[in-house]
Amino acid sequence: MPVVDLDTDELRGLTGRTDTSDEEFKQDLFGLGLEFEGETDDGLLQFEFAPDRLDRLSVEGVARSLRYHYGDDRGVYVPETNDSEWTIEVDESVPDERPYVTGAVIRGVDLDEGALESLIQLQEKLHATMGRGRAKGAIGIHDLAMVKGAPLQEGSEPSITYRGVEPDGDTFVPLDANNELTPDAVLAEHDTGRTYADLVEGLDRYPAIYDELGLFSFPPVINGKRTEVTTGSRELFVELTGTDQWTIDRMCNIICYALSARGATIEAVEVSYADGATAPSEYGAELVRPNFDVDEKAVSHDRIETLLGVDFEREEVVDCFERAGLDASYTLDEDVTYEVAIPPYRVDVLHPLDLVDDVGRAYGFDELEPRYPDVGTVGGRHERSRLEDAVRTSLVGLGFEDLLNFHMTSGPENYDRMNVEPGTGGAAVAEADADSGARPALAGAGIVGGGAPVEITEPYSEEYTQLRTWALPSLVMLLERNTHNAYPQDVAEVGFVAERDDAESTNVAERRHVAGAVARRDASYEAAKGRLQAVCDDFGAELATPRIEHPTFIDGRTAAVEIDGERVGVIGELHPAVLVEHDLEVPVAAFEFDLDALR
Amino acid sequence: MRLPERQLAVLEAASATDGRTIDEIATETGLKPETVVGAAFDLRDEGLCSVAERTAETVDLTDEGRRYVADGLPETRLYRAGLALDADEAPVSMGRVIGEAALDGPEVDIALSNFARKGFGSIDSGELRVAPDADPDADPEASVLAALADGDDPAVDEAVLDRLDSRGLVDRAESVTRSVTLTDDGVDALMGGVAATETVSELTPELLATGEWRDVEFAEYNVEADAPGVSGGRKHVLRRTADRVKDVLVGMGFQEMEGPHADSDFWINDCLFMPQDHPARTHWDRFALDVEPMEGIPDELMARVEAAHRDGWGLDGDGYHSPWSEEFAREVALRGHTTSLSMRYLSGIAGAELDPPQRYFSVEKVYRNDTLDPTHLLEFFQIEGWVMAEDLSVRDLMGTFEEFYRQFGITDIRFKPHYNPYTEPSFELFGEHPETGEEIEIGNSGVFREEVTGPLGVDCDVMAWGLALERLAMLTTGAEDIRDLHGTLADIDFLRNAEVSY
Repeated sequence: MPVVDLDTDELRGLTGRTDTSDEEFKQDLFGLGLEFEGETDDGLLQFEFAPDRLDRLSVEGVARSLRYHYGDDRGVYVPETNDSEWTIEVDESVPDERPYVTGAVIRGVDLDEGALESLIQLQEKLHATMGRGRAKGAIGIHDLAMVKGAPLQEGSEPSITYRGVEPDGDTFVPLDANNELTPDAVLAEHDTGRTYADLVEGLDRYPAIYDELGLFSFPPVINGKRTEVTTGSRELFVELTGTDQWTIDRMCNIICYALSARGATIEAVEVSYADGATAPSEYGAELVRPNFDVDEKAVSHDRIETLLGVDFEREEVVDCFERAGLDASYTLDEDVTYEVAIPPYRVDVLHPLDLVDDVGRAYGFDELEPRYPDVGTVGGRHERSRLEDAVRTSLVGLGFEDLLNFHMTSGPENYDRMNVEPGTGGAAVAEADADSGARPALAGAGIVGGGAPVEITEPYSEEYTQLRTWALPSLVMLLERNTHNAYPQDVAEVGFVAERDDAESTNVAERRHVAGAVARRDASYEAAKGRLQAVCDDFGAELATPRIEHPTFIDGRTAAVEIDGERVGVIGELHPAVLVEHDLEVPVAAFEFDLDALR
Repeated sequence: MRLPERQLAVLEAASATDGRTIDEIATETGLKPETVVGAAFDLRDEGLCSVAERTAETVDLTDEGRRYVADGLPETRLYRAGLALDADEAPVSMGRVIGEAALDGPEVDIALSNFARKGFGSIDSGELRVAPDADPDADPEASVLAALADGDDPAVDEAVLDRLDSRGLVDRAESVTRSVTLTDDGVDALMGGVAATETVSELTPELLATGEWRDVEFAEYNVEADAPGVSGGRKHVLRRTADRVKDVLVGMGFQEMEGPHADSDFWINDCLFMPQDHPARTHWDRFALDVEPMEGIPDELMARVEAAHRDGWGLDGDGYHSPWSEEFAREVALRGHTTSLSMRYLSGIAGAELDPPQRYFSVEKVYRNDTLDPTHLLEFFQIEGWVMAEDLSVRDLMGTFEEFYRQFGITDIRFKPHYNPYTEPSFELFGEHPETGEEIEIGNSGVFREEVTGPLGVDCDVMAWGLALERLAMLTTGAEDIRDLHGTLADIDFLRNAEVSY
């Protein structure tokens, strides 16, 4: 969840509440959903919040929300915007992968250290959230005094150009560097360049911003040193590039609102996409930005009442909207519907329901009286879950400790250490009947446990790289971990196993297996079979155990588990090689079969 | 009169004039001393004999003490070796004397420290000189050891015993000696003749069949003694917690859902209106599987979900400004939440089309790519529940969850407004830990957005919530490390000893 760092002195200044204590702010902010997390080394208070109200990523935005909360502000506020002087020309050489740009000019800026810090923080936090790590949107803020915009033709406005640059083309001095570097050199040699190199990796041309003097910004990687913003900067050029026009426009709005809250003046910028530019935005080729258009959505009085479970007066609803920083008007028809105006810094209102939530928050969800819904339904367990449970009860009655193991495991644990080869069992070897097309039970096909693995594409841990194809390895691993504990150790599990299977819509066959292992000085085939028989008896299932071979078990002491005539598993004494591999010093007899056989 | 065999034996062995000790009677009767004690007390309770108790100190030689009785005390051996080397006349190097005395290991230090203490001689600059006038034969420590070895009563100087005790050569213990004397009643009883009742140790089928059980006495057990341990099987603690949750939910009218663990991103995320570029959908957070993309998703449903993502739902709805591809939606991964089941049921693909009202739940495993630590696992159980009805309100949601948590002793639920991509309004649920009183997060809830329910074809309200089962289990079992409970790292002893919850 996003975290915003707040200087409470700034908060006092921006809200005009000079007497409010830090503690009171904490309380009030909790009410807005910002939870106090701790303090930074510099004494700033850190607050965590859910990533919907990204306009609260700066002290200016938080102060605005507080002013609404205190009732000092009401309704939608839109800052004045002066007419544009500057143009951002979008050249056709702009890389297809990052086609969009937006921006604004800010004048009359007076940034002290704190304000500059706050601006940089807002930029970083927006990159991390809406900007998706700068991939979707990246912000560059420049000292306008250092930008030289040559009019393209006599009499037209000054401009900068968003275009593509050859990776080893023009050079510039990036921030935190002292020499001229090509874009490729930035990616290879500059710390920030290395951090963001993967964002432009593989592009033929890199995104670049030029003015009359040449390349001065390399989005989304780094700005040039020439236009670096300092506390001395009085006029700013804000540009944003990205993969989505709406996203960068909103990010731009949030920046503009924050600077406006500090008394700066916003000046529009024209964005002009060249005819050949890959993707003129959904809003056309000629844009005036920032876009402070106010959205409108309609929401019915009835929906507000039913969703919140409260009867409202209309004026009460309008009041809630206004205290949420929205404007609302309604028609005096029978079905009351509010036309709600939404300010351009809001990025979270996708549906009228989001407005009901705003009413709820302004009204105070704490005020709502819980009630148990007067709706009758009949409860019940799923058949499979009841069966699993019944088998567990049988196993526990036979003295087995019921286990709960991970479904994820690794190839060595699932196969190698059990002396089983992948692809020797299950769907990989089950041959459909030529006439009926029906396949045998996968659990009993070939070598039990030898199904082909479903592997995790990019595993982070060597211990968890695939789903287990059978449960017995988990039981044996558990025994391995518990050699220091007293014997006998009789353990069992009714649990999930999976293997590759093209016949399934997900291409994964999921089953529940019943596995039991008897680990004790006198563990024998007989001990395991006696227990297996008892389980089968409990479910009225007929058990047969014809002799088979299975590499996990001792030859001559291994049998297939056939239940009601179908081969569904294996039973036997574990091979000494498998025991020794798991550091076990007692014999182990075990069985495993498909739970469905007991249905 | 009739007495049990062993009481009779003790009665016969006792005398009316001399007190006879338990050991004496045990030797005579061949009974175990503890049996004699038991019988003697029984006889006393019947007034047939009296039992007198005397507390005495016993002093026994330790193994080391016995060795010294045989070999001589180390210091004495040192002295004699010194004499043999004429150390009474001129100092002799210590090493030689020790060698001559054949002292070894810790005995060397013992010899040296006691040698000087007892005035057997002196040691200076590594040379040893013996005192000509010393007399080890008169050493009281040696003579007490010898007397003890002979079984004589060590009526000796307490100080010498203390010294031997501190040297670890004797064990001193207090013992109670009991002696049994016949009372007059006891004598009378013997005169009148006492017969033995038969005592049996086991109740056999023969005894029952023949009726002989009527004439026998059953040997008494020490019923207070610990019995050998028995470990029966038991259901896993986490399963029991899950059972309890299921009981509660079934009782509240919820039906159980089930469905695939490996599922398409469509059911796991797209139906939930999670934008495809949401951070939780990057490969860091999910377990993508190396299988072919999923088929069998109804085309119309796919189209409606895509429309919701791209353009929003309803007249005034806006979509996400995020990329969306059917290819990604069809990728198969392990589910990160069981809300994928809710989506399947709400869409009707899991069974019948559902009409309101409905309540459904599951307590099933989910997979999250997290760091394995005491409170986080890669696999855990999620409790998932939802209620479908016309015109559900936030108040209904609050009432339902209050009722659910109340069943687990968690009251005073607080609803903190929250944000989820798939619910609006959304609330994080906080409750008080029943023992520590701490405020803890116990769930996430909300009313499904229309962008979620609309494409699924649901046109009434659905409220839902989710919670990790392990969180509840840790509260109810007191487990501090979740890895003790779940997985192949589990300690079988912990599972055997975990308190049963119900």
